[in-house]
Amino acid sequence: MSEHDESFAYQNFDTILRQMMQELGVTRMVTDYRIKADPDAPYFLISLRLGRARSSVKVSDMAIVDPSPEGGKITITDENWAPALLTRLWQEYGRDAVEQLTRYELIVHGVPAEDLENMELDPGEELRSKVLDAVWRIFPEGFKVRHNLVDDKVMTILGTEHDLDEEWVRIAEELHEEMHHDREEGD
Amino acid sequence: MYEVLLFDGGVYKINELYELIEDVGGFVIQKTQVQVQITVTLAIPEEERPVIEAKTVELGGKLVDVPLAGTEIAVVAPTLGRHHMPHPTCDIAEQLRRAGAITVVMGLARGKGRRTAQISADEMAVIEEYDAAIFVLGNFKDCILEHKVKLFEELEVPVVAVCGPEIESLPSCEGLVCGVGRKVERMRREEEIRKLEEVGARVEDVVRQKRQELDEDPLFVHPAEIKDRIAELEAVQESLRPAPIVLHLDGLRVKIPYEEWKDQIADVEVYGRRLGDIAEISNSRLGGSTLIRIKTRAEVESG
Repeated sequence: MSEHDESFAYQNFDTILRQMMQELGVTRMVTDYRIKADPDAPYFLISLRLGRARSSVKVSDMAIVDPSPEGGKITITDENWAPALLTRLWQEYGRDAVEQLTRYELIVHGVPAEDLENMELDPGEELRSKVLDAVWRIFPEGFKVRHNLVDDKVMTILGTEHDLDEEWVRIAEELHEEMHHDREEGD
Repeated sequence: MYEVLLFDGGVYKINELYELIEDVGGFVIQKTQVQVQITVTLAIPEEERPVIEAKTVELGGKLVDVPLAGTEIAVVAPTLGRHHMPHPTCDIAEQLRRAGAITVVMGLARGKGRRTAQISADEMAVIEEYDAAIFVLGNFKDCILEHKVKLFEELEVPVVAVCGPEIESLPSCEGLVCGVGRKVERMRREEEIRKLEEVGARVEDVVRQKRQELDEDPLFVHPAEIKDRIAELEAVQESLRPAPIVLHLDGLRVKIPYEEWKDQIADVEVYGRRLGDIAEISNSRLGGSTLIRIKTRAEVESG
């Protein structure tokens, strides 16, 4: 460990992470987090437990899907989902296949209505990318070599400047595991 | 030694103030008039302040201390990434501007990290053009003491380091302010504002020290005395840059291209001498500017 007292750094990272999450509106998404760092090693490790498990939303929950001669026709009923839906359709079928008739109506050429109805959108993805954004913003800039451990509940990111030491990866894995378990003890 | 003050008042009888400043051996650095209101930045010999104060009262204006007026200061962050910008770098720059300095904010190309943190010769040369440099560093004591310190160890201009952790002393810098660290918000809490004031005070100390050193071997003329004469050049008058002439402690930066204008600048007459003879005129590292460093009285007389 570093021979210097780094309490200021820990306190400061804690503050800026909180502020950053607030700014990005993901405070409630993260139920717990830990920051570990050893500037002497050097490594920087941050682990966050994500609040709610990712639940997916079906297209039929936010839109009405009808068959039409050209393909599946979607009428969006909840516009909040429109950007996510459109992105997903573009990814899946390509921009050429997706035709926007009006603000709420889309035709996906050559795709049966049933396929569209069963398609799932992942709301967690957007929130997760926001949490990641908060992490990138506070992560020391020079620590470009990174190792990520991500699953549905916990996101652990380890970073360093040169080579990753196996010892640090082990510490990261331990912390990642720990974050799964001490849910009740919290904070 | 000269003291720099800001007069804030009306234009009524303002000529009397100008005359008085001239009589006591001072000069006007800058005038900004908005309708009938005027702010005048002036430099006067320290001991003449009471006279100017009395005149200010008579004219119904007020006199504000602007200890950093007539200086140009670089605020340097390890990079321009959002890890270091805009807070607190810009807050510090703003604080210095309020004290009268002209500031530039600069990010190094490869200042991030620990072993990878470095400063290029070009960057150092740019920083050397300023009167002082503020280095805004981060959170880890270890990083600052072991690595970031080398960013400014070879700089000759006075350096003030601003960092997070409490450090008793840091080599290669003339001033140190601890307790700032990384920020993701503006520094607007009471204790943060106090920190900014502390940074301002430390820079003032450094500038005062440099002024005193200059006074030991005084310049042939004060930069402000040359300013008016250079302002008469056509290129300066046509320049659209916000401050075409910037005062330094030992010279000026004129924001017109060196190659094109060096001869005209050198031919400017100052107290019967060519400016080229009493000052070193050189190209600035920042494109389109010319640097003038005034020689000391001893240098001019021996030359």
